[in-house]
Amino acid sequence: MIELDLGAPFDRHRATVLPEWIDWNGHMNVGFYVVAFDKATDTLFEQFGCSFEYTKQKIGMTFVLEAHVTYDREVKEGDPLRVATQILDHDAKRLHCIHAMYHAGEGFLAATNELMVMNIDYASRRSAPWPDFALERIERMAAAHAALPKPKQAGRLIGIKKK
Amino acid sequence: MLDSLPYELPELVTRAPLDTHRSTVLPEWVDWNGHMNVAFYVTAFDQASGAFMRNMGLGRRYVDGKLGMTFVLETHVTYDREMREGAPMRFATQLLDRDAKKVHLFHEMFHAEQGYLAATNETIVMNIDYASRRSAPWPVPVAGRLETLWATHRLLPKPAKAGRIMGLSRK
Repeated sequence: MIELDLGAPFDRHRATVLPEWIDWNGHMNVGFYVVAFDKATDTLFEQFGCSFEYTKQKIGMTFVLEAHVTYDREVKEGDPLRVATQILDHDAKRLHCIHAMYHAGEGFLAATNELMVMNIDYASRRSAPWPDFALERIERMAAAHAALPKPKQAGRLIGIKKK
Repeated sequence: MLDSLPYELPELVTRAPLDTHRSTVLPEWVDWNGHMNVAFYVTAFDQASGAFMRNMGLGRRYVDGKLGMTFVLETHVTYDREMREGAPMRFATQLLDRDAKKVHLFHEMFHAEQGYLAATNETIVMNIDYASRRSAPWPVPVAGRLETLWATHRLLPKPAKAGRIMGLSRK
């Protein structure tokens, strides 16, 4: 397994807005923000040993139970993206985290994605506790992130504010 | 604010919830777990929002005519059950709230044959002025249609999965 990155927040994922991610409004489509975030989730779970190889070798899978996205600013074709991730909470089977997507050149916040992810047993496709190797790493990263302030986009309730 | 739209608007469907949208899970929406990837649930729901907007009179002609656009500000998805390649989807859409520039929608995605709930999506969509790419009030005829729709949708009960705040519940 790769060396665990205990930087807080976890700040390794980089990407570029692909031409096929653009819609008729001339910007990255709402669905492809989530494609980009899901790839950042893969980068995070590589840290725990629960990414592509975990599934390819029929050990387990991770399923997203719930997702919340805030679309903060438009990004266009070719824009470089940087995604930073903060662990918010975890238990024996689940991980609660939030990604922040930035324009890597201009620095502005483009979107956030709060996620609840659950570990899944490969054979039964049902929830299962994190493997020991993963839980140990999740706990170390969670400890490294514990002092970070809670982002204001975490724990949001959707609604139209009344004036 | 636009006082009118330069094309004929479709007949307004006032059924509550709105249940016109259908779709199918495409091969390219399936990931290494062998099911529809989380992102493409959002794409599928975005198309259901598109169906809601077309009912309002804001379809492709609204954008192609350089009149306006609609942007999603925020979205919340619950993933309730897996969907495989080729699965037929049926959507039900409830208008939860509206104001001069925004709508608050709640979509449910069902497996169209087996009937189970696959996912829900709560979303805020805002009207955008084409030239400035900034928020703008709904065109007048759209605001009128929205109020007609609100008269039926406001009577629906609030969905159980609407208004969720994410977190681990402690036992």
